[in-house]
Amino acid sequence: MADFIKNPVVDLPDPDPAPHFSEEELVFTANEKAEIARRIAQYPTSDGAVMWTLWLAQDKFGFLPPEVLRLVAQELERPYAQVYGVATFYTQYYKEKKGTHVLDVCTCFSCQFCGGYDILDYLERKLGIKRGQTTPCERFTLQEVECLGACGSAPMLQVSNGPYAHNLTPEKIDVLLATLENGEPLPFVSLTLPQDEDQMQGNRRSDAEAVEAYQVPPVAKLTS
Amino acid sequence: MTKAGDWQSYQRVLLPPVRNLHHLDAYRAQGGYDILRTIFNDWKPEDVTQCVKKSGLRGRGGAGFPTGLKWSFMPPANPAVPRFLCCNADESEPGTFKDRQLMEFNPHLIFEGILIACFAMSMKACYLYVRGEFSSWITLLERELACAYDANLVGTGMLGTNVNMDIILHKGAGAYICGEETSLMESLEGKRAYPRIKPPFPAQQGIWGYPTTINNVETLACVPLILDRGADWFAGVGAQTHPGPILYGISGHVNRPGVYEYPTGMLITDLLEIAGSMRGGKKLKALVPGGASVPVLRADMIEGVTMDVESLRAAGSMMGTAGMLFLDEDTDMVAFLRRVARFYHHESCGQCTPCREGTGWMENLITRIDDGEGNLRDLDLLLDLCDQMEGRTVCALADAAAWPVRNTIKRFRNDFEKRCRPAVWAGVA
Repeated sequence: MADFIKNPVVDLPDPDPAPHFSEEELVFTANEKAEIARRIAQYPTSDGAVMWTLWLAQDKFGFLPPEVLRLVAQELERPYAQVYGVATFYTQYYKEKKGTHVLDVCTCFSCQFCGGYDILDYLERKLGIKRGQTTPCERFTLQEVECLGACGSAPMLQVSNGPYAHNLTPEKIDVLLATLENGEPLPFVSLTLPQDEDQMQGNRRSDAEAVEAYQVPPVAKLTS
Repeated sequence: MTKAGDWQSYQRVLLPPVRNLHHLDAYRAQGGYDILRTIFNDWKPEDVTQCVKKSGLRGRGGAGFPTGLKWSFMPPANPAVPRFLCCNADESEPGTFKDRQLMEFNPHLIFEGILIACFAMSMKACYLYVRGEFSSWITLLERELACAYDANLVGTGMLGTNVNMDIILHKGAGAYICGEETSLMESLEGKRAYPRIKPPFPAQQGIWGYPTTINNVETLACVPLILDRGADWFAGVGAQTHPGPILYGISGHVNRPGVYEYPTGMLITDLLEIAGSMRGGKKLKALVPGGASVPVLRADMIEGVTMDVESLRAAGSMMGTAGMLFLDEDTDMVAFLRRVARFYHHESCGQCTPCREGTGWMENLITRIDDGEGNLRDLDLLLDLCDQMEGRTVCALADAAAWPVRNTIKRFRNDFEKRCRPAVWAGVA
C-alpha cells in the first residue's frame, strides 16, 4: 500500500519548544546590526530586509528556532508572525538543527535520469542514514532537494547552501566527503561551456578556483 | 535553410568568446557600457522602449511576452512616485540552467541591460532577485557590481550625469514559486511568496504598491545588444516572430550537454546533433523543450519543429525557457511523470486549494500507478484532475503542473496502461 494511505496525518510543530540559545547568546553584534541597517536602507520599508536578516541569523546561529526568529523580528521591528511565516515558507531556512555539512542532492528530472537517485542511495549507505536525517556525529545531514539549476552537469549536489559539486560519481563523493571531514573548503567550480571548449580551448575565467567540463551523464539505474 | 538561417557560422553575442569577460576591464575593452553612455547623453527614454519594441524581443523567462510592450505598460513617470525594475534571476524551472552561466560569465551585460531598462522607464532602482541556491554566484555578482559602482557606472551621479540608479541584490531562499512575477514581489517585500491576483498588474501596483516591471536576466542581457547593434539586426537573427540570440540549456541523455548560444528557430534535430546526439547510440524517446512545465514531445513529433513560439505551439508544446531535456528509449515515462508531479507538489505554495490539494493527489495517483497498484480508470481520473486544476488558481503553477501530466499521459498512454492493473472485464473498466 502506498505511503499516503498509511500515514495521512501531518505532525504539527510544538507551539512552545524549549529554547536552544540562552538570553546572552541571543544578540546581534554591532557589526551585524550595521549590516542589517545597511540592508534595511536598500528597501522602502524594513520588510525587505527580512530575508537577508534571516540569512545572517542562520549563518550566525546555524538554524532558526523560534527564539532566533523573535530576535530577528525585534531587530527589524516587524511582527513575529511575519518572520515566522517567511522562515517556514522557504526551504533553505533551517528550522531545526542540522549537521555541520548539509548535503542537498538534486533528484529533479534531469538528475533523476542521470543517476541522482543512485547518488542519494550511495550517500545513504555510505553515511548510514536516510534522506532527511543527520549522522549521529552531527557532521552530515543528507537531504533530497528539488532542481538546483545545474541540469547539464547532472547528477549534482550542493553543500550547506554553498558550493555545487557537479558530474558526481561514487569516487567523487568519497573525495568530497573526505575533503569535508578534513575541514577543507570546497572550491567554486566553473563549468566550461561546450562552445568555449571548441572556440577557446577551455574555461574563459582565468580566476576560477576549479574548472570542469560538462560530461556525458552516467548510465542511470532507476530507484525511487 | 531553416528559420535560424546560417547558424553554422553564428557568432555568439550573449557569451562571446572573450577571456575573462566577467571582469569590468575586459568587458569595457569590448565596448561595454559605451552604448549606455550614448543613451544617457543622446537618447530619449521613449525611443529606447520603441527600439526594444521594434526589435521583437520576447521575454526569455518562459512566457515569451514581448518585452517592449511590457515596458510600455508603465504609467507616465511621476517624480513623486518611485518605480522599480525587478530582474528575475530565480531560475528554478527544472531543466533550466542558462541564467546561472550568464551571471557567471557575463554579469556586466546584465547590469548594462538593467541600467538601460531603468533609463527607458525612468526608474531609480532595480532589485536583482537571485535564487538562494546560487549563493556562490551572488558572491560573484556582488564583486562585479562593486567594481561597477567604483567605476561610477552605477550609483549616485553615475557616468558623470546627475542621475542616480541603484542595483540591489536580493537573495531568495529556495522557493520555485518566487519565479512567478507577483510572487517574486511578495518575496521582495519580506513575506511568504504567495502570488497576487492580477489585475492590478505590476505596472500599476508592484512592489510596495509602486509601478514595477519584471524581466528575466537573459531578456535584460539582450537589451544592450539591441541598442548597440540596432533593432533591425536583432529582428534579423533567428525566427522572424521570435527573434534574437538565445541560450539553449541542453541536458539529459546526450553526449555533450551544456549551455549553447544560437539564434532562435533552430531545428530541434540540429540542436540534438550539436549536443553530440544521444548517448550510447540510443534512440530518442521524449523531449521536454522548455523546462518542466511545458508539454513533453514524443520523438516522432519533433521532425521539422524549430525552437520558437509558433513552431512549438503548432507541434503541441511551448517554448518555455529553452531548457531542453532529451530522454532516450530506456526512459520510464511513469517515473518521469511521478518526479514531475512530486516537484509541483513540493513547490505549490499552498495558497489556492485546487493547486495545493490537486498537486498532492496528482503525485499520489501517479505514485500508485508507478508502484503497480493503479487502475486503468486512474488515468482518466488524472486527466479529470488536470481539468479541475487548470485556470482555477491565482497563478499559473497549477496550469504548469497540469500540462505535463495531461500531455505525458496522452502521448505515452501505452506506457501508463502497461503499469496499471488490467481491467476485470476488458472494455468496461
